[in-house]
Amino acid sequence: MRGKDVRLDQVSIRFGDAVAVQPLNLTIEAGEFFSILGPSGCGKTTILRTVSGFIEPTIGRVLIGGEDMAGKGPNERPTALIFQNLALFPLMSVAENVAFGLEARGVAKAERLKRAQELLELVALGGYGDKKPSDLSGGQRQRVAIARALAVEPSVLLLDEPLSALDLKLRQHMRAELRAIQKRVGITFIYITHDQGEALAMSDRVAVMSRGQLEQVAAPDTLYAEPATPFVATFVGEQNVIRGTLRRISNGMASVDTPLGPVEGREVGTPAIGAPVLVMVRPERMTLGDGRDNRIPATLKARHLEGPSVNLECTAAGQTLTVTLANGPAVRELPDDLVLGFGRDDARVYAEGALANG
Amino acid sequence: MASLFRAYGRGLGALLILIATLWILALILVPLGAMIEQSLWWKDSKGDITLQIDRLYNDMATLQLDASGESDAAKKAGLEAQIAQKQAEATALEAQETNPPKTYGLANFTRMSGLHFYIFIRTIIYALMVTALALVVCYPMAYAVALASGPRKAIVLTVALIVPYAINELLRVYAWLMILDYRGVINGILGWLGMVDLDNRGWIPFLENPSAVFLAMIYTYVLFMVFPMVNTLETLDRNQIEAARDLGASSFRIHRRVIIPHAKPGIAVGCIMTFMLSAGSYSVPAIMTRGQGGDWFSQLVYRQFFESNNWNMGSAYAVSLLVVCTAFILIMMRLFGVGLRDIAK
Repeated sequence: MRGKDVRLDQVSIRFGDAVAVQPLNLTIEAGEFFSILGPSGCGKTTILRTVSGFIEPTIGRVLIGGEDMAGKGPNERPTALIFQNLALFPLMSVAENVAFGLEARGVAKAERLKRAQELLELVALGGYGDKKPSDLSGGQRQRVAIARALAVEPSVLLLDEPLSALDLKLRQHMRAELRAIQKRVGITFIYITHDQGEALAMSDRVAVMSRGQLEQVAAPDTLYAEPATPFVATFVGEQNVIRGTLRRISNGMASVDTPLGPVEGREVGTPAIGAPVLVMVRPERMTLGDGRDNRIPATLKARHLEGPSVNLECTAAGQTLTVTLANGPAVRELPDDLVLGFGRDDARVYAEGALANG
Repeated sequence: MASLFRAYGRGLGALLILIATLWILALILVPLGAMIEQSLWWKDSKGDITLQIDRLYNDMATLQLDASGESDAAKKAGLEAQIAQKQAEATALEAQETNPPKTYGLANFTRMSGLHFYIFIRTIIYALMVTALALVVCYPMAYAVALASGPRKAIVLTVALIVPYAINELLRVYAWLMILDYRGVINGILGWLGMVDLDNRGWIPFLENPSAVFLAMIYTYVLFMVFPMVNTLETLDRNQIEAARDLGASSFRIHRRVIIPHAKPGIAVGCIMTFMLSAGSYSVPAIMTRGQGGDWFSQLVYRQFFESNNWNMGSAYAVSLLVVCTAFILIMMRLFGVGLRDIAK
């Protein structure tokens, strides 16, 4: 099996008057584990269905391995789709499920069952061929779905939130498993999810979508550390958002007037002087005490113990700020009045824009 | 029963059981029992009994005449004794005529004439053909209705199927009669086109062909085939169809491997209903053939009851039909691997 690259060239998708996907360009490299991350209704599933061939783009082209896919149905594309509910065939045995794609290609019965057995062994389900899907656990069904999709030797595997039905522990286990399988077979994975944890943990690169538009395409580390838009900043990970007015910019540093006092941070995307801006600071980048570039006096409202870390819920000028600190003796007994601090490089200043949570 | 009491309390639970029992008694056991009982006996009426009685009364009248003209007292007494004896004989025979002795046995079933047995077998075959044709016609229709996307399409299709069913069955059968009749719509159009000569009785005799009955029956019972199938097809996860297509399967393979196996219980129920209805249908063959085409078995049952006035024989015929239909249900259930539970769904 060899992966192929997938290119969306000025693709736009409409359903009647509703625009599901705004015109966008996206290139997914061969053999890459690529995630599309976004809230429900952002158009990520539409893109997946467009790549798999269930939807034709209204405008633009889909190219897989350099070949234009226009007019090719799902059964003619080198892709395989894993559905959110897996869509295993309940009346067939596990082996028949896995062999179905080969059956459709006219492979002889003995040959296809042998191949199914090999694939079941690949996903560590060697002895389960004769069982019905309903006899298996959620994680096992998941692996059957993967084996069934891999049986047709696709160049691109498309996964539509396949882990969302599993419980937390299994989900974490399956993340590692999916990643391992992808490394082993070496084909392109396009993974759709609304769970940022999944996207960050598994992917080589992640695309964040909102309202039918690509917000940012980047490696997970970049996405977390340098979100390009307010939406990405608030959708991926937690943020303290402070609204203010931009006073001046020098050397890429923005000075902002906020109800909490003047704040300095790194400017993103050159907002205009005097315009309303958003200052974003991640809770774990904030510290207690003086000595940082920015200083905000605040009142401690609540202390949430997470185990390895502690979340402090504070208010300053009527606004809630969260600080995440490593757990230890220093944060066990705290006074009600605190001073919060963060460096210039810890804060990012964006022009006013849509946030992930309204 | 205990769980029923627990769920509804003693009073209501008992009432529910009572209602269910009455229902089963009144609608299933009593009518069926009466029918089976009726089919298992016959009256041993000798065909000449009425003749014998007539002859006795004739004799008595002659003797009476002789006696009234006789002057000899001894001879007269002899004649009167003869009359009394004949009268006693006649009374005994009359009693037998009005209330002949019942004999129990299976003779009603074995006495079926060769012609009637032929019609019986033919009816079963016709009903099977109607069922098979209805299945072929209805499967695509049910599939289209069940998978119609958007509420509007489903509404249109449902209305198109249900509205005809708001019209009385007889009217619909008569409508087909008018369409297929010698001077009906089709022959009329063909005549107008000059393809048949109506004036010289050159019409096409559609109604003399059993397929006319098939056509009317399929039309009449379409709904009973379509609805069970729609019900099961609607529960099919569409992702399964898409998954099969994504894995490269052709439409034919998707139907054969994914959709039809899923729809099996619905197909079984639809076939059972259509078969039962068509095997037992009286009005459709009666109206459509009007004696021009072959009889269906249901018409024979009717004649046994209301023309031959032989209810025992009629019951036996009806029970035979019931047995075959029940066997058909069991075979269908075995064939499709569905249990009663699936059908009840």
